[in-house]
Amino acid sequence: MFKTKTTAPGVRVVSVKTDKYKTNIIDISMAVPLDENAAANALLIGLLSRSCKDYPDFTSLNAKLDELYGASLGCSVRKIGDAQVLSLSVTCLDDRFALEDESITDECAKLLCDLIFNPNVKGSSFGKDALKSEKRLLINNILAELDNKRYYALKKCTELMCANEPFGRSEYGTVEEVENVKMTDIFAAWKNLLKTAVIQITTVGCADITKINRLFSKQFKTVDREPCEINTIFFKKGQHFRRGVEQFPMKQGKLVFGFRTGSEDRYDNYFPLRVMCDIFGGGTYSKLFANVREKMSLAYYCSASFVSSKGIIFVQSGIDTDKEKQVSTAIINQLDDVRKGKFDDETLAASKRSLREGLTLSTPEAVCGWYKSFILEDNIMTPEETADGYDKVTKEEVCEAAKLLSIDKIYMLEAVESEDAEDEV
Amino acid sequence: MKYKEYKDEKLGESIFCGKHSSGLEIRVAPKAGYDSAYAVFAVKYGSIDNYLGKSNGKYVKIPEGTAHFLEHKLFESEELDAFELFAKTGAQANAYTSFEHTAYLFKGSENIDTSLGYLLDFVQKPYFTAETVKKEQGIIGQEIRMYQDLPDWVVMFNLLKCLYKEHPVRIDIAGTQESIAQIDDKLLYSIYDTYYNPSNMILSIAGNVDPDKIFNQVSKAITRKKKAVPDRKFVPESAKAISKYVEKKLAVGKKQFLLGYKEELKTPEISMEDELASTAMIEALFGKSSPFFKKLLDDGLIEMDFGGQIFNGFGFSTVMIGGTSDDPEKVAKLIKDEIKKVKKSGLDKKAFERAKRKIYGRSVMSYNDIDDIANGQMNMYFAGYKPFAELDTIRKLNVTKANERLKKLTDAGSALSVILPMD
Repeated sequence: MFKTKTTAPGVRVVSVKTDKYKTNIIDISMAVPLDENAAANALLIGLLSRSCKDYPDFTSLNAKLDELYGASLGCSVRKIGDAQVLSLSVTCLDDRFALEDESITDECAKLLCDLIFNPNVKGSSFGKDALKSEKRLLINNILAELDNKRYYALKKCTELMCANEPFGRSEYGTVEEVENVKMTDIFAAWKNLLKTAVIQITTVGCADITKINRLFSKQFKTVDREPCEINTIFFKKGQHFRRGVEQFPMKQGKLVFGFRTGSEDRYDNYFPLRVMCDIFGGGTYSKLFANVREKMSLAYYCSASFVSSKGIIFVQSGIDTDKEKQVSTAIINQLDDVRKGKFDDETLAASKRSLREGLTLSTPEAVCGWYKSFILEDNIMTPEETADGYDKVTKEEVCEAAKLLSIDKIYMLEAVESEDAEDEV
Repeated sequence: MKYKEYKDEKLGESIFCGKHSSGLEIRVAPKAGYDSAYAVFAVKYGSIDNYLGKSNGKYVKIPEGTAHFLEHKLFESEELDAFELFAKTGAQANAYTSFEHTAYLFKGSENIDTSLGYLLDFVQKPYFTAETVKKEQGIIGQEIRMYQDLPDWVVMFNLLKCLYKEHPVRIDIAGTQESIAQIDDKLLYSIYDTYYNPSNMILSIAGNVDPDKIFNQVSKAITRKKKAVPDRKFVPESAKAISKYVEKKLAVGKKQFLLGYKEELKTPEISMEDELASTAMIEALFGKSSPFFKKLLDDGLIEMDFGGQIFNGFGFSTVMIGGTSDDPEKVAKLIKDEIKKVKKSGLDKKAFERAKRKIYGRSVMSYNDIDDIANGQMNMYFAGYKPFAELDTIRKLNVTKANERLKKLTDAGSALSVILPMD
């Protein structure tokens, strides 16, 4: 079970206390509206993760983490609906396993707090070289998105589909936006984050919630908190159907379908949609796996995923470019079968079992990930409550949920022959 | 059947090991407070075993990608296929083929004994026909193409092709479109009969399980009799790389590189101590707390993904260092210079101790994860180690050993693999 505590306005500590793990995780996540400041925010969280007053450069900070038995510092930027969520987290060995009785967890909690509240700033500058370096790293990361074609195709489909919604933006900003960020923007982003972000601190392990609460509440007292409101736009139906296309010299084409789910908020029709999405393209019993892969041998993967925070379902598949029509028809036919209830009770039962299984969070990272995903919600659902929700879904509800799906956009990365096709070895 | 408990007091974990009369190794790691279990049933047969050992001691070459193909096909049976069976318990079933072994697994929280029964059963009952083999070629063909578009994968195999002349570690695990077209049901049966013997396998499970029950169930479910399995073919390699440089253009955003140092092996495998000493050496030299990392980062030569590891197995051992860079050749030269310099001066003792602590911490952390525990025991068994051997080895690691490992890195054995963006 978990406990929550409000540390400051819009700052919630969620703690899952257990001694079954070897580690403690402390994560601080900060949510702000996804807008034109995305690039400055993404640069900021990068800068905050590289140094602080006590460890003023990358090398000394990492040496400290190594000394703390390889404590790992994570830094991430992601989207939840139309929000940009910036996270810093520490995973460290629990004190029980220290070889010289060090207080690893206390040190890590303090370090995490310092990274956010006591960064290595002089006046209102994070350092010219530091910003230059951070820009280079972020821009290269954005450019490298192309390296993973599956991810890249999904991202392009999202951009096309949500061109008029914040969700259509990249969580890192564009290359141009990153280039244009000034030092004053970074400093303003830091102040803005501390003042207005919706914040959740999530801990998993033996760490003492009171201690952590005290540590952070002391810091938040120095800030005049005015937490922002974050709203996500839900389009119930696909707007203007379009097929986006790009060509690359590569071996396998990538096809992405974007559907709107008809929901009006994150929990609207939530359980039927999850179960429907799973029967459509989740496990090995799903329509897409059983047909597009196993029966038709058209793909190694063809699967559906539900983005509940935005009311979207994506179908993704890696295919031969000249088979696009055949695969697209198969995907639509399979959806049609779900709508018509052409799946047996055993498939429905298998899906519920599999979804329930997916809620068995067997690592501390998974537990932390579960709870931090509720950063924008007043109420936190436990995995058990969620499993009960799945169990109640009927076949009719699945068919009805499938009928609500409307296609919005298709994105196709076409594989074309490379001039440089031969290996040089 | 009899089994023995191994315990690490400081870690607070126990692992139970036993040997079945069929020769099957069974390892059970109970985890109090966990809701699920992860089981892996694995055979010491992987992509490097692209020779079929005959009873006369000779070896016959087989198509590249056969081990992986067999992995895909074992999921099918005459009645319900394995996926359909596991759908009944809700467990998530999967399989993978690595260079040295093939593993069949499931993870589940309810009816674990039923799932375990399915796992033991389907791996022991092969069923292939000419038609089902043919059908799989389309799916695996797509899998091969998917990997050919992944720069991390391509940069590594291109490097291995530069370093290794004969050793099958240089071939893609899934083979090629052409090689898998040569695979038929008869070949799969003969591979299966030769290598999938309990004496060449392990059942490793971790999670909310009772050792006594597991040993009981497994020992009853093993139906195949013990039979001698041909030795793995040792393909010796010289200390020299066959080519120093390879580049390939792919549709990527940035240049990527991997610099490799091949080690000449007198015996097929390096020891766990050697492996961990190399890991510490690489971490001390090139890790995020090293002056080298900072210098190159400040000079705009590397990204956060820069790092190294030792990649070793039966008949191969290579230290690989790489990442994203605008100037791979310059970075490769700086790495080589650094290695030359530190070979003379010896590793910084403080940096080595930090690296050792980090490796210790990360090893303890891996006991959080039932997947890691069960897979870890499988790897340790196949390499000939008892449970917790890695923790004992880390605790005893010393800088002298790490310096010895550093001296193994030679220019003659090195090669650079680069991925370039399209023009």
